[in-house]
Parts: sequence; C-alpha cells; structure tokens
Amino acid sequence: MKFLTKINRNYFILLAVILTVVSTGGYFILQSIILNNTKDSLLEKEILIIKQITETGETPNIYPIVEVKKINCKTIDKPIFNEKNIKNEVEDEIETFIEYSNQVKIKDVYYSITLRQSEFESEDLLAIIALTLFILLLSAFGISFFVTKRMNKTVWSGFEQNLQKIENFNFSENKNLNLLTSDIDEFDRLNRVIDRLTEKLKTDYLSLKEFTENASHEIQTPLSIVLLNLEEVLQQELNAETFKKVVSSINAIKRLSTLNQHLILLTKIENRQFETDKVLILNDIVKRKLEEFTPLFETKKLKVELNFEQDFALKINEQLAELLIGNLLSNAVNHNFTDGYISISIHEKELKICNTGETNSLTDENVFNRFAKGNSKSNGLGLAIVKNICETHNLEIHYVKNEHHCFIIHLKK
Amino acid sequence: MKILIIEDEIELLIAISNYLVRENYICELAESFNKADEKLSIYEYDVILLDITLPDGNGLELLKTIKKYHIKSGVIIISAKNSLDDKISGLDLGADDYMTKPFQLSELNSRIKAVLRRRQFDGTNILNFNEIAVNTDSKSVAVNGIEITITKKEYDLLLFFIINKNRVLTKEAIAEHLWNDNIDLADNFDFIYTHLNNIRKKIKRAGGTDYIKTIYGMGYKFTEK
Repeated sequence: MKFLTKINRNYFILLAVILTVVSTGGYFILQSIILNNTKDSLLEKEILIIKQITETGETPNIYPIVEVKKINCKTIDKPIFNEKNIKNEVEDEIETFIEYSNQVKIKDVYYSITLRQSEFESEDLLAIIALTLFILLLSAFGISFFVTKRMNKTVWSGFEQNLQKIENFNFSENKNLNLLTSDIDEFDRLNRVIDRLTEKLKTDYLSLKEFTENASHEIQTPLSIVLLNLEEVLQQELNAETFKKVVSSINAIKRLSTLNQHLILLTKIENRQFETDKVLILNDIVKRKLEEFTPLFETKKLKVELNFEQDFALKINEQLAELLIGNLLSNAVNHNFTDGYISISIHEKELKICNTGETNSLTDENVFNRFAKGNSKSNGLGLAIVKNICETHNLEIHYVKNEHHCFIIHLKK
Repeated sequence: MKILIIEDEIELLIAISNYLVRENYICELAESFNKADEKLSIYEYDVILLDITLPDGNGLELLKTIKKYHIKSGVIIISAKNSLDDKISGLDLGADDYMTKPFQLSELNSRIKAVLRRRQFDGTNILNFNEIAVNTDSKSVAVNGIEITITKKEYDLLLFFIINKNRVLTKEAIAEHLWNDNIDLADNFDFIYTHLNNIRKKIKRAGGTDYIKTIYGMGYKFTEK
C-alpha cells in the first residue's frame, strides 16, 4: 500500500468513527433541546389561555392543539407531559404529539387544559444528520484526493524518482547513484544515509572484484608453470612408479586449480558480478546439457527420463544457468550407480532432478555446504555453487531423499 | 610456422617456447606489452599467443593492433582470469580462441593446429600418419585409402592423438579435451575407454595398425614404436 493511501485510509476511518460518534451524540442532544423547547412553548401557551379565560371567560378550542373543558372536580394534582398518537385528518397519517395536561381553578371553576404540539419527527432529524455526515465525508474525501494528487506531484515525486534510481542501481555498472535533493529534511537525511551506504558497498564490491581477479591470476600462473613442467617430465622414459607419481601430481595440480576457480566463482556469484538481463527458458538449457552428458550416461548405462509439461522461463545469466543445470546433472551422475536412473521434470515453475544412488548421510541442511562431499571424488563445491546461483536468482532449492535423491528448484514465493 | 608468444611470466614463456620449438615451430618471445608492440611493428606471425594481463598494458589493446595490421595472424588468448568479460571482448575483438591457465601443452598444440587449419596456413587439409589419413575439412578418416565410418568424438580423439603423436597423454587430459570444461567430471573418465576401443577396432578392421599404446594404465601415446 502506498504511504499516502495508507495515511488517507487511516484518516478516513478515524473521520468516519468521529463523525458517527458526534452525530449520535448530536442526535440525542438536539432531540432533548427540541423537547424542552416544545415543553416551554406549551407552558407559555397555557399562561396565555389562562389569561384569556380569566379576562373573557371564553374557552378556546382548536383540536388537536388546544382543548379546554370545564370540569367538576380536580382529578390530577399536577400538570403532566406525555406523548400521544393522533391521526392527522389532512395528511392521513398518525402523528406523535407532546401532550400537556393540567387542571386549573379559575374564578372557582375547574378547567381541564390540554395542549398539544406536534413532535419534531425523529426520522426527519436522523435524515438531516445522516445527510450532513455524508456530505462532510464526501467533501473530506474529495479534498484529500486532490491534496494527495498534488502532493504526489510535488512532495513525493523526488522521492519516487530516487526510489527508482535505487531499484535500478547496479554495482557492476560503476556509476554513481546521484540522488535528487529535496527541501524535506527527512528525505535528505535518508538520501545521505543511502549515499554513504552505497559508497561503502561500492568500495567493498570493487575491492572484492579486484581481489578475486588478482587471486585468480596469482594462483593460476604458478600452477601453470608446475603443470607444464610436470607434463614435460612425463614425456621422458620413466619407470612405472615415477610415472604414477608424476600423473598423480598433475591431477592434484588440476584439482587445486579447479578448486581455486570454483571458490572464485562462488565469490563472484555472491558478489553478483554476473549480468542477468536475459530471460532464458530452462527447458532449452536442460536439453542442451543432456546432449553433452550423453557419453557419461552411456558409460554408466543410466536410464534418463524427461518430462516437460511447461516452459520454465527465468531471468538468469546464461553461463550461470548452464552451470546450475550442469552441476546438478554431474551430481546425479557422480552419485549414481551403473544401470541407475535419472528423471528430470519441469512443471508449474518447478524443476525436479531425481536420481538413484547410494543412501548417504547427507541431509538437507548440509548437502549444500561447501566441501560436503559424501563419497564423491569431486571437490564438494558443485552444490554450493548451485545453491548460490539459486539464492542470487530468487530461486529456492530443496533436497529430498525418499527412494531417490531429488533436487527441487522453484521460484521463491 | 612462426609463433609470437606474449607472456609476462618468464618461466611460463620459456616452458611454452621450448615445447613449441620441439614441435618445429619458430618462436619469438615477448615478456611485456612494449616488447610485443615493437615486435609486432616489424614482423609477421602465423599465430600469436597473447596473455592479456601484462604489467605495462592491457593485452586486449595489443589485440586491436594485431587485428588492424596483422589480419592473417591467428590469435589465441591465454589468460589466468577465467573472466567471462575478457573472454567475450577478446573473441569480439577477433581472437580465434581463448585458453584459461593452467592449460596443458598437448591442448595448446591442438588449439594452435586448429587455428592454423582454420586459417589454411598449412596449405593442406590432410593429416597423415602412415596408413592413416585424417581429412580436417570433411572430418573423415581413411585407412589405406579407404574411408572408415567414425563418430564425431572418435574423430576428435584421433585428431588429438595424431597432433600430439609420440607424446604421453594422461586420460584426464584426453577427457578434458573431449569434454566441455564446465562439467565436473569427478572420476568419470571411463567414457573415453569406449571411444578408444572403438577407434582401435575400426582401424584394425580396415587393415591398419593400432598405434595407441597404453602406458602403465594411466596414459596413452600415439606412436609407431
């Protein structure tokens, strides 16, 4: 919800509550004021009537407003107010009247005076109050709608633009954030904090990037020298023992080099140094990789089953996508046994790769850990890289072990 | 064939050049940007091995010069950085291939030969080894003049062997040559046995000799002896 919408919503709820309470109170107060006024005017009328009787002896009668009768004796002690429903002949409806009854003694004659006044109808009163309430709410809504619109244009536009800049900011582009300044203190404070943080992050990003590149260069170069020399030694006439030593040294050097490359790769993925600006269909990548893996499947006599129900489109760097699928397939092959089985299925934005294999001690938590190797001869970074790629591409990955070992990848919910 | 090796690490420079000289290439060495620039302004080369991280300049700049004044030269970038950006810009600027350190000499030789073949410096598209003739245009193999049916991987394997004849190749080096280097092979090298045995059978069936020698169960050598 937008900030202004939220404020407006709260404002309206509060306004509605206050207006309802005030109106209810107002209704009762108004009602009692009107009732008192009615009573007062009835009393005033009585005085006038008594005056008329005293002066002229006439008993005025206007039904249903004034009824004056001579009576023989007093039946009530004091005046009474009550309500009475009387049918109005003209409008043909029942009206409620406030009735004032009194018995007075004028010149030794008892008179019964009954005065009535039509009550101000409560429905009318309610209707008026409700209408007022409605008009008030409507005008408040209208005013705040225009104020919000204007505020969006003036006060919030700079904020929105800055937000967009931050959203689109990419460290690898090596540009400055350049946030717009405004005349609002809070926003400027926020901008300063963001500027400081991005500056720090940028320095960290660049120094890490530089470090990985340097580390790569500084480690791979001496490894190259060792490897080339060992390869030359291998060409000489060697006895079996020495030959084996040289070959195992070569393989160790290669493992070291791969390990170094993979660690650097992990850092680069974490540092988000790979551009992800294209949307790829994972199905195509899986098909491409399966072709490359065919010789491996054949050697291990693995049965591979494919089941694509839908296309899994994803914004991901192509090299990383290939790495992701490649590493998962490598894993499915390396931990499989001869005549085993691999199934790959894609449905509803979910990629599932299952394989047969020995039951090992790895659990969901530690299977993705760096150097968690199980019984494989790989360097134990393959699945850590997979996990890293998932984490940086809004994907979730789970490892499920039932009768098969399964890796399930789906978009983060 | 004349090769210019541009590499700032002297030991590496010497190791590469020693090997290439033995493979009958003529090698010139440059250990810095300026030295390389100087040599490039005077001589012509068939292939240039270019390290892009030089202490006194960016190798990619040299690549621009090469592509401007030495259109006929093939360029193979050798870099310690497995950096995708460099790889893409290198290939965009016209490099023929990109190799990541550490690489093996047998692989380097195979790549140089591929560049030469593509640029037709050899003048011939047939590689002969006694009764075996490999046609690199049609990617076909003939034994005693009769063409044999061969798969893509078997062809790649045989070509790798013939280019690196008389050289000991570990099965890992062979597997890596045949394989995409992005795949974690772990210990799955068995698949090369199938290809090896198929080639042996096909050549023998066509009346050829099996030149593939196994060395202590860990390596192979394509040799007459």
